[in-house]
Order: sequence, then C-alpha cells, then structure tokens
Amino acid sequence: MNLKKISPWLDALAILAWGILLLKYWITGKLSILIHPHYFGLTLAGGIGLMVIGGLKTWELLKLDRTTKQSRTSPANNSLRITEVEHVTLFPPSIGSTLMLSVALIGLLTTPRTFTSQTALERGLTESLPITRLQPQEFRNTTKPELRSLVEWVRLLNFNPEPDTYRGQKVKVQGFVIHPPNLAEQYMWIGRFIITCCAADAYPIGLPVKLLIGQSRTTFAPDSWLEIEGETIVEELQGKRKLIIQASSLKPIPEPKNPYDY
Amino acid sequence: MQPALTNQLNNAFTLFLSLLVEAIPFLLLGVLFSGLLLGFVDERKLVSRIPPNPLLAALMGSSIGFLFPVCECGNVPVARRLLMQGVPAPAAIGFLLAAPTINPVVIWATWTAFRDQPEIVVLRVVFSLVTATIIGWVFSAQKDLRPLLQPSVARAIPLPKPEFSEKKLVQANTPLLLQSGTFMLGQPGGAVPIESLLQDDWKPLQTDQTEKTSKRSSMFHRVSKERLRLLLDTMVQELRELGGVLVIGSAIAAIIQVGAPRELILNLGQGPVSSILAMLLLGAVVSICSTVDAFFALSFASTFTSGSLLAFLVFGPMIDLKGIGLMLSIFKSRAVVYIIVLAAQLTFLMTLAVNLHLG
Repeated sequence: MNLKKISPWLDALAILAWGILLLKYWITGKLSILIHPHYFGLTLAGGIGLMVIGGLKTWELLKLDRTTKQSRTSPANNSLRITEVEHVTLFPPSIGSTLMLSVALIGLLTTPRTFTSQTALERGLTESLPITRLQPQEFRNTTKPELRSLVEWVRLLNFNPEPDTYRGQKVKVQGFVIHPPNLAEQYMWIGRFIITCCAADAYPIGLPVKLLIGQSRTTFAPDSWLEIEGETIVEELQGKRKLIIQASSLKPIPEPKNPYDY
Repeated sequence: MQPALTNQLNNAFTLFLSLLVEAIPFLLLGVLFSGLLLGFVDERKLVSRIPPNPLLAALMGSSIGFLFPVCECGNVPVARRLLMQGVPAPAAIGFLLAAPTINPVVIWATWTAFRDQPEIVVLRVVFSLVTATIIGWVFSAQKDLRPLLQPSVARAIPLPKPEFSEKKLVQANTPLLLQSGTFMLGQPGGAVPIESLLQDDWKPLQTDQTEKTSKRSSMFHRVSKERLRLLLDTMVQELRELGGVLVIGSAIAAIIQVGAPRELILNLGQGPVSSILAMLLLGAVVSICSTVDAFFALSFASTFTSGSLLAFLVFGPMIDLKGIGLMLSIFKSRAVVYIIVLAAQLTFLMTLAVNLHLG
C-alpha cells in the first residue's frame, strides 16, 4: 500500500488516538497531574470532539473504500466528491499525523508523573506565595490552625510574614518530603506544588519541618507523602528567622489523587 | 547523575503533555472556526466589508477577534484561511496578532485574575489592539505579500493587479539571471516567477456547490451535505498539520523550561527596563494559552513591575515558541522575524511608559 493511501487513515487514527488519550486522562484521573480542574470540562469536550471527528473520518474512509471496491471498473464515480481544497502543508502530510499519533500512543502507553522534590529544589523552594486569586483579603484568626492546609499556612505567612504571630499553634498538614542539601539532618521540608493553569506553571511551596531529637530525615525518603502533626516554633535557619513545624507525628500517606494544590 | 537526568526527562514529558492537553481543545476550537469560515461564510462578501484604508482594515481585523474567541493555538488556522480567502494583509495580520487577546473569553479571564488592578485589564486590551493594528498597517506597505508567505499559501492568495503589471514591466527589462525570487522551472517560456503563477485564473477557494447554494443577500452559505463534508475534511487536514507543529513547539517549550532554571529568567531584574525584558522573554518561552496566561502572570504580580506583567500579557499571546511554529505555516521565517521584532519593540515602548509614568 502506498503512502497516499495510508495518509488519510493516519489522520483519522491520530485524531481518534488523541480523543481517546484525553478521555483516558479524564477517566483515570490523570488529568489532575497535567492541568487545573477548571479546564477538565474543556478537555473532556475536546476529547469527545476529536473522537467525533476521527470517527466520522474513519466512517467516511470505510465507506469510500467499499465504494471503490464495488466500482473498481468505473473509477469515474470518485468525481462525485467535492472539489478538493488546497491545504497548506509545512511538511509532508503523513509527518504531521505520524507525529500526533506517536505522541498519543506514547501518552496511552505511559503515565505522566507528578513533579518530584528534586524539581521543587530546582525551581526554588520558598514559603512565600506569589499573589494568587486566593490571596487572603483580611487577616482572620478564626480558622483553627490544625485545619489549615499547607497552602493556607503559606498564604497566611505571605499576608503577615512575622513568624512570631503563629508561634505555638497546632499544625496538621499533608505534603511530600523534600531534603534541601544545605540543611542539617534534623530538618527537612514538607511541600506541595500549586498550579494556576497547567503543569507548566507549577510552583513549589512548603514549610521547614524539625524532627524530634534523635530522628534523622533519612527515615523519610524524598517524595514520600506524609501527614505531619505538630506545633509551630520559630528558629533561625540559614540566617533567617523562620516559622518551623516541630513534628510530633509523621504518618506516611499515599500520594493524593490530585497532587497539586491551587 | 542518572536519577537527575530521569527526573529532568520526566518533568519535560509531563510539561510537554500538559501543554498539549491544554492547547489541543483550543486548537480544535480554532480549526472548527476556520472550517466554518471556509465552508459557510461567503468570503467575497466578508472581504467586501473590510474598509480599503489599510489602517482601518488593520483595526477592523484586530477587532474581528471579538467574534472568534480563539487563543493563539486557534488563531493561526483562522488567519491563514482569511488570507487565503483574499482578506487584505493588514486585516489578516491584525487578526492574527490581536485575536488571542481581543476576545471575550480572555478579557473575562484577565478581569478575574486582576480584579484588583483593572488598569491591567484595560491596558492589556488597548496595547494589544494598538500593537496588532500598527503591525498590520506596517505590513500594508508591502503591496504584494506573497514573497513573505510560504509558497503554498502564496499560491492560494490573490495578487493586487495594478502593482503586478508594473512589476512585470520592470522584470521584463531585467535579465532573468539578475532577478531575485523563487522561480518555477520547466514552464513554457522558461523559468516563471512563482508570484506570477495562478495570477490570472485565481479564484477564491470554492467548491462546485458554491454558486448554487449561496444566497445573494446573505454572507453565509446554506448548510448542505457537501459543505459538512468539506468542513470535516478541512478540520482533519488542519488538525493534522497544526497538531504536528504544536507537538514540535510544545516539545521545544518543555525542553527550554526544564533546561533553563526559572530563577535565571526571574533574576534578570527588578528594574523598569530589565523586568520588561525578562517578562518578554518569559512570555515567549512559556507557551501558555492566552485564556489562562493572566493567572500565570498573577503569580509574578508581587515580584514584577506592572509594566512587565503587561509586557507578558501583550507579547506572550502574540509571540511564543509554539505560536512561532504555527506562524511558520503561513509566513516565511523572514516575515516571522519582522513580526517578532515589531511586536517586541512596540510592547517594550508602551510598557516602559507604564513603568515610568504609572508605576
């Protein structure tokens, strides 16, 4: 079979495969590793749209195939089709669809993974949050400290960075373990990635954690997920006064279905 | 070393997929609009409504984006279709550059993000409109756009007739070897400049049903089975072509994002000039869809000047790595460089004024 015959089938397959991939990510919940939940609906609609287009194209090709087989003796029947419109091609048509199809197949066969603690270190770990939509408009002390998530703690610190304000409060947060190389064995960070639209703008935030005397962070592997309970203390770390979680209980938890926070 | 490399590859792959997964629904939307424009809008009537004055045409083209809510992944197929249907270059280029920003979805998203700084929302719209209109206007100086276009697009667009006859006269007096340009060999009468091909028998893109189905008074064609099939064919072909380019663009964006540490870009400066330059660069590197880039810019609001945020919001949707890939499906690289330089300069000047006078 020559390339000209395969090319329309490649197009249909590539579009179908992308439709299936988007739906697969949606069904398996992997979409949350890639984009913000706001855009799930759009992706779902996109996936369905691509399936419809790919399906219609396949149906048309099958019908055409049958017609040509039936009327092999009278090829003039093909002239029933509307005049072909000239399309712009940057590269040979089969290359575009092959590229799309290969990426879709790789996507179908592999699973995207969440960013690691290594990435958090590379992107610059901070306990300060850039201004986001959820910036607190006023300082309210009514929320129970132990109900605050890691992001909420960081948001508060961003609003009022004086660590002494929060000294001695109860903490219960979930996140993944980060081992900054320049900290003593007794310290580590607990972190989360926050995203505003997709993994392209994932931004690491976190808080330092002080382990109990005699404990070493080597017990808690980087990237493992923990629920940490404890109390806030203020200490000088790397020349800066910081709010630190003095951990009393560190419970391993499975990686949440949705690893990012917003 | 090995785990670090695996980590980088994993990150690049996740980034690459996330850019694609986010962009493909918008691409689909753009391709759908492009197909509808081809199949159901009478291009000659649309063209006749665009004012002849290049500045007004550019302004109108820039504002058409309001009717086509597509972002930068979707505006390229529509702009390409407009050009191929004979829409004057200033209007098509104005549309290409302004449509990702001048549309209700993006304005609404920017408003949601910068509710506290309404001036950012207003200035984003104004600056994008001004930049796109000026660039469209500048391109109107080139009466025959075809040397700047990819040959396949160039063949599909009409040529302004009076200018061509003058050019022909000049060329007739110049020996063939001294003429510059692209030539088709093996034509009767020797080498023929590519610009002259299809000049006389050019017709707007049409199907054999066009004449029968179009009503005289309406700008829209009637829905028919043939037209729906044409819509499907157009969408499939454009998805294949632009999807391929999008894959390459997203891969490049992911590699750069993983390869170059973000702090490197961020540390470039806090000053009125350096922050704008850093944000222009970031806008081009982070190929994020214009419908969502306001939220992304918001994450820099505390550390960057207002002017530089605007630079990101105005320049990013016009020029970014994957957009450049898509633009190369219309223009030759020379024209894309002109557009990038002009857009960067205009954005820089306007946002610098914001930093110096409003900041």
